[in-house]
Amino acid sequence: MLRRLLFAVLIVGACRSDGRTVGRSAQRIVSLLPSFTEILFAIGAGDRVVGRTTWCDYPPAALDVASVGDGIPPNIEAVAARKPDLVVLYNSGPNVTAAQQLERIGIRTVLLDLNRLEDLGPATRKLGQLTGLEQRAESLAAAMDSLVLHRPPPSSTNLAFVVWDNPPIIIGAGSYLSQLAALAGARNVFDDITAPSAQVSLETIAARNPHWIAVLADSAVPPAFAQRREWRAVPAVRAGQFLMLPGSLFGRPGPRSAEAVRQLKALLAQ
Amino acid sequence: MKWALLFLVAGVALVASVLVGPAGLQSDIVWNLRAPRTVLAFLVGGSLGAAGASLQALVRNPLADPFLLGLSGGAGLGAVLAIALHLPGPWALPIAAFIGALAALVLVYRLGRIGGGVLDPRILLLGGVAVGAFAAAITTAIVSLADAAELRNAFLWLWGGLSSASWDAVLLIGVYAPIPLLVLLGASRPLDLLALGEEPARYLGADVEQVKRRVYLAASLLTAAAVAVSGVIGFVGLIVPHLARGTWGHRHRALLPASFIGGGALLAIADTLARTVVAPRELPVGVVTALIGVPVFALLLRRWTVA
Repeated sequence: MLRRLLFAVLIVGACRSDGRTVGRSAQRIVSLLPSFTEILFAIGAGDRVVGRTTWCDYPPAALDVASVGDGIPPNIEAVAARKPDLVVLYNSGPNVTAAQQLERIGIRTVLLDLNRLEDLGPATRKLGQLTGLEQRAESLAAAMDSLVLHRPPPSSTNLAFVVWDNPPIIIGAGSYLSQLAALAGARNVFDDITAPSAQVSLETIAARNPHWIAVLADSAVPPAFAQRREWRAVPAVRAGQFLMLPGSLFGRPGPRSAEAVRQLKALLAQ
Repeated sequence: MKWALLFLVAGVALVASVLVGPAGLQSDIVWNLRAPRTVLAFLVGGSLGAAGASLQALVRNPLADPFLLGLSGGAGLGAVLAIALHLPGPWALPIAAFIGALAALVLVYRLGRIGGGVLDPRILLLGGVAVGAFAAAITTAIVSLADAAELRNAFLWLWGGLSSASWDAVLLIGVYAPIPLLVLLGASRPLDLLALGEEPARYLGADVEQVKRRVYLAASLLTAAAVAVSGVIGFVGLIVPHLARGTWGHRHRALLPASFIGGGALLAIADTLARTVVAPRELPVGVVTALIGVPVFALLLRRWTVA
């Protein structure tokens, strides 16, 4: 009897979630991460995106979409004002709270992981499923998966990603950027640090002596710390070996990750 | 004997700090990075120790520390503004932090003299807390409103660290710090008298108003320079003076130098640990000063109260 009741509850539950998620594809989407915006446009759901963050600057058509703020943390009222039937959020602590609040006022949400290259395929498939554009999503996701399945080439050079100079913060093996570098043939000298990023002492950077210092920046001018005396103890800084990588292309995993690898390879070959 | 011990500890701390590090003993790294960092740690720690000791005497409050009087809030606001406005140049951040600290200093000083010409330590304390909180609120508002994602890193800088150490910074502090330090040392006798209360100090011949002004300005200028080169490093300026007072007593002629050397040694040790314990990663040095300082402090507090 009890088992039957449980079964009935399960059936009812399944029907309800079916009615909510699969039955109807999303028509008004708010995307709260630049990568999600890029994926939605790439799978042909760009015309259904009705809200984006201030950081969502690609493709150019995304700039015509209304912005709901910087998204950290999401402004619930600004998001709700776009009257979305789906809000796509990056899976992190503050966003989980925001998603719960949105659900409470009847707006469907989805929280997706997107930290590393291997998260791209699943995220894209999920977005395809939610928009009813499974086929286009699948072909994009397959291309993304091939990036990860691809064995990285043997590294011919090495680099350190410097995120901040005082205190020095670098990118570790846990980050998407470390994967990008490996695919482009450059070993991250801090790939023994498993965290996505970490504070290290300047002398460690100097001792590991990376051939390149990679910096996410939209200008081609070397960063201000290049002129600081203590940083000049790092040979690559002294030699001006900076890789200035535009954040819009390099700073986020997305449909253009393969393009980012190509461009990084070209920069390293100089 | 206790002086010999203090010098020994400080000497060992300095030597160990130069010799120990994640990068081994490469001459270039030792000379250009580790040696200036060690010296800067000693100078900053010493400045905070001496500033803390004299401020505790000035406001006659054992809880006073160099950052209680609003300087950290002002420095933080300056630093965040420098980052938000993209001020150019390698020294933009420390200069902006220093100016921010000076602005807070002037504001608190004006507040402290609000009841006429005399500097009231209680109002000084309240003014410091108020100005600090106000500056922190503006800082947070800028960080949350500005677009620059890097602003969040400004908070990391605020937590303190010596990674910007270079011989330039050492030279700067080495020339600057002795002036306020000598002013404080010169005020040691009146500071002793001030401990008895302002009235008795006056009867015993101290020019109380002038001493208060001088000590406040000297200690604050010392702290402003320390915060400009190394952010807000907590606990050194609070705990070291108490440790020194427990050993050297309340005479400032001995207390101030002991606080200076003790603070310098503590920060040099803490920074060595910060660099090496979790290498290749690094801990914020303020975390280490608290982790060492607080247990030692608790232990001594127990001994003093039992005895």
